[in-house]
Amino acid sequence: MSTTEGPTIELDGEVVAYEPGETLYQIATRARREVPTLCYDPRLEAFGGCRLCVVEVEGIRNPVASCTTQATPGMKVRSSTPALEGHRRTILELVASENRQIEVDPLSGHSSGEFAALARRYELRPGRFAGRKSGASRHDDDNPFILRDYDQCISCYRCVRVCAEREGDYAISVVNRGFATQISTEFGGLLKDSACTFCGQCVQTCPTGALADRKALRAVDLPEPIAKTRSVCTYCGVGCSVDIVTKGERVVGVQPAMDGPANLGALCIKGQFAFDFVQHDDRLKTPLVRRDGELVPASWDEALDRAAAGFRAVVDQHGPEALYAIASGRAPHEASYALQKLMRAGWGLNHIDNCSRA
Amino acid sequence: MALATDDQILARYRDAEAPLLPLLHAFHERDHCLTSSALRAVATALRIPLADLWGTVSFYHHFAREGETRSAPRICTGPICSLRGAHERVAAMAGEGATAMPCSGRCDQPIPALVGDRSMTFAGSRLVPAPRSPLPAPNPGGLEECVFAGIRAPDRGTMAGYLASGGGRGLERARGLEPAALLDELEAAGLAGRGGAGFPTARKWRAVREAAGEAKVVVCNADEGEPGCFKDRALMDHDPLALIEGMAIAALATGATLGFIYLRYEYPETLDVLDRALTEARAAGMIGGAFEIHLRRGAGAYICGEETSLLNSLEGKHPFPRNRPPFPVTHGYRDRPTAVNNVETLCSVAPILARGAAWYRGLGLGGQAGTKVISLSGDVLRPGNYEVPLGFPLARLIHDWAGGLPAGRTLQAVTMAGLSGGFLGAEDVAEVTLDEPSIRARGSFLGAGGIMVFDSSRDMVAVAREAMAFFAHESCGKCFPCRIGSQRLTERLGFESGPTDQVEWRREIDEIARTMKATSACGLGIAAPLVAESLIRLFPGAVTEKFQEREAR
Repeated sequence: MSTTEGPTIELDGEVVAYEPGETLYQIATRARREVPTLCYDPRLEAFGGCRLCVVEVEGIRNPVASCTTQATPGMKVRSSTPALEGHRRTILELVASENRQIEVDPLSGHSSGEFAALARRYELRPGRFAGRKSGASRHDDDNPFILRDYDQCISCYRCVRVCAEREGDYAISVVNRGFATQISTEFGGLLKDSACTFCGQCVQTCPTGALADRKALRAVDLPEPIAKTRSVCTYCGVGCSVDIVTKGERVVGVQPAMDGPANLGALCIKGQFAFDFVQHDDRLKTPLVRRDGELVPASWDEALDRAAAGFRAVVDQHGPEALYAIASGRAPHEASYALQKLMRAGWGLNHIDNCSRA
Repeated sequence: MALATDDQILARYRDAEAPLLPLLHAFHERDHCLTSSALRAVATALRIPLADLWGTVSFYHHFAREGETRSAPRICTGPICSLRGAHERVAAMAGEGATAMPCSGRCDQPIPALVGDRSMTFAGSRLVPAPRSPLPAPNPGGLEECVFAGIRAPDRGTMAGYLASGGGRGLERARGLEPAALLDELEAAGLAGRGGAGFPTARKWRAVREAAGEAKVVVCNADEGEPGCFKDRALMDHDPLALIEGMAIAALATGATLGFIYLRYEYPETLDVLDRALTEARAAGMIGGAFEIHLRRGAGAYICGEETSLLNSLEGKHPFPRNRPPFPVTHGYRDRPTAVNNVETLCSVAPILARGAAWYRGLGLGGQAGTKVISLSGDVLRPGNYEVPLGFPLARLIHDWAGGLPAGRTLQAVTMAGLSGGFLGAEDVAEVTLDEPSIRARGSFLGAGGIMVFDSSRDMVAVAREAMAFFAHESCGKCFPCRIGSQRLTERLGFESGPTDQVEWRREIDEIARTMKATSACGLGIAAPLVAESLIRLFPGAVTEKFQEREAR
């Protein structure tokens, strides 16, 4: 490693370089410290709510939240001490005491296992700090996409913050205060009556499954293991990276890739939830051609001959300039590629578009 | 007179500084609640997302929502009022829509209630208009005072009476001083924040003065929400121009052009007093022109007495405390350098300037500088506000000045810093002097100077549970240890849930308290566990009795 001229801190006795403006959490994470957190999402402004990421800084009496504390040169920081680990366990046990369950199905959302993972890591003692529950589930919100099970909510406000800071919708907010705090739309209504666009970002950042992917959870009883396949959303030209969630041969959900360069975990309602067509019963499984006004099954050879004849007839009568192709947002990228190739290389045209060029 | 239309209300405030709270109050007063159409109008006018506004409004205790009315009685169930049967009063008036409100800062008077904007009190079971807040009694020790020195002069609340009784001389002197000299004078006086944190005032003001940015701000924190504290109310009710003069001097010292007084909701009469005083001060040239003060009314949230919550509240944001740094002295109201000072601190400034740093410093005892107003309440013969020299023995205040406890009663405990300092027992009370070093040595702190006295007949476990319920009620919900911890401590002190074994019960309380004190994001969560800890330390027998009662059941 080359020596650096930049500022350094002392982290657990080790000298670590940092860029001015970096927080202790960013530095510690980069230095492979496993600092626990529940309210942190690197895409959002640091909030300092969960207090799990507290670290000790020499010269400061109380531990500080590392996510909201910027490094200053020479700071002496300890990221894990018996006292800190004790506080972290106590906070996690307090959180566990107000939720119905800790382990949730991973189909719930991208981050839904975060709390459970910390609960396992800190070996929480069951029943500790038992008492009243704070959440109020909104099972009456029967929208088909987002399950609002606030019995599982820990008031980290990642949903509210992602909605405001990343999506700009401000559809949900924090109502009441203290232990009575709830996540709510304006006037406590349903998501469909709010400014919500069902982009699903709240679901994907939720660390407990309180907000969950209702469509994916339809597949909760399928026996096969969950697999994820990295792909790019087909719907428009932004190029959002997605992980297609499957069980066996079945596409059961789509999750945004948090490291997708174009989207950083964002999707829209279509990319997030509109995938049922892929394996829908109504989907064509064989080419159809029209005979006497009726669509009837045909062989690929027959269908392609018919299509070619149709193109040829138009070109003969009006010239190639009369052709124009629109690829479907639901077509695979490979098909869209083939179609533009046909138009450009085959016919020498640039008359090619996509149905949803957002 | 016809009621104002939506447009008239919006036109009045939409371009004002800190417009959200006055807009909401105007609709709240007109409609007796905040209707959804009013919220829509406000959201549109101020370009606030509707969901955000809905959340922010719900944060405040006193905004009646649609279907509720602000004219329903709110009865104080603070620690002292609870001892006098306030909860029973609420239950008895449930048919009239009565609800409880946290301590409303009248602990030296009979149980208060708010009906709309009228302060009421009980005559039998009926609510009748409450008398004005009492004038502080002449100093029982005959000691020289600072903030109360002129407060009993005739017509002190009017400009004529104020000037006739020595007011205005501080500002006059300050106007002839360079800001640096002014700050040096305050520094020499040793004035420190009287709201509880005790930060040196001159250092704060110098930081604002030296901070980058021209548009500096002075904010008076008059959100006196600490249970058992009612000193700022007395100062504002009877000597409002001293506060305004102090703010005008603060503006000279810091270079501020904009000022606010953020007054708690529960002091409606004080709002009128301040409004009139500001008008007079403007007419007399004390403020206005280079430095204007806006009066803003809170809406019922203890946390808004925390300076960064207060600033968020002024700005119309959700009143969570902010992460620090940056501090308000560089990034305060709308990110401008801002000095946030308590009422008593600001009221001390003009007398210090008028009479000199050495005079003020000399008022304290045992090396302590200056005086402190103590709000004394509970089981004493003469509850009220007393201005004591810092370093004054607490026992003398209770027994000599306030007449001691009712005949036949002995002192069991007092609270410190209102509730935030937890309890001191009788032994501590006998020894302690009223200054931070002495009180902190006993695991508590003086804070804003509210002291509630409990005699030996009081159930201290029940008092502690009430206190913790207050903190749970007022926890903002931002940080986990406070939001959940204050609730769990309340449940444990009330034996609603938690371990039935006393050893395990104490272990849970210890763990929660330790983590709240170490990791909470602001002073509320850091201080709240002191009540539980000091209860267990001072009154282990009372706790054991509760367990024995439970087993017997």
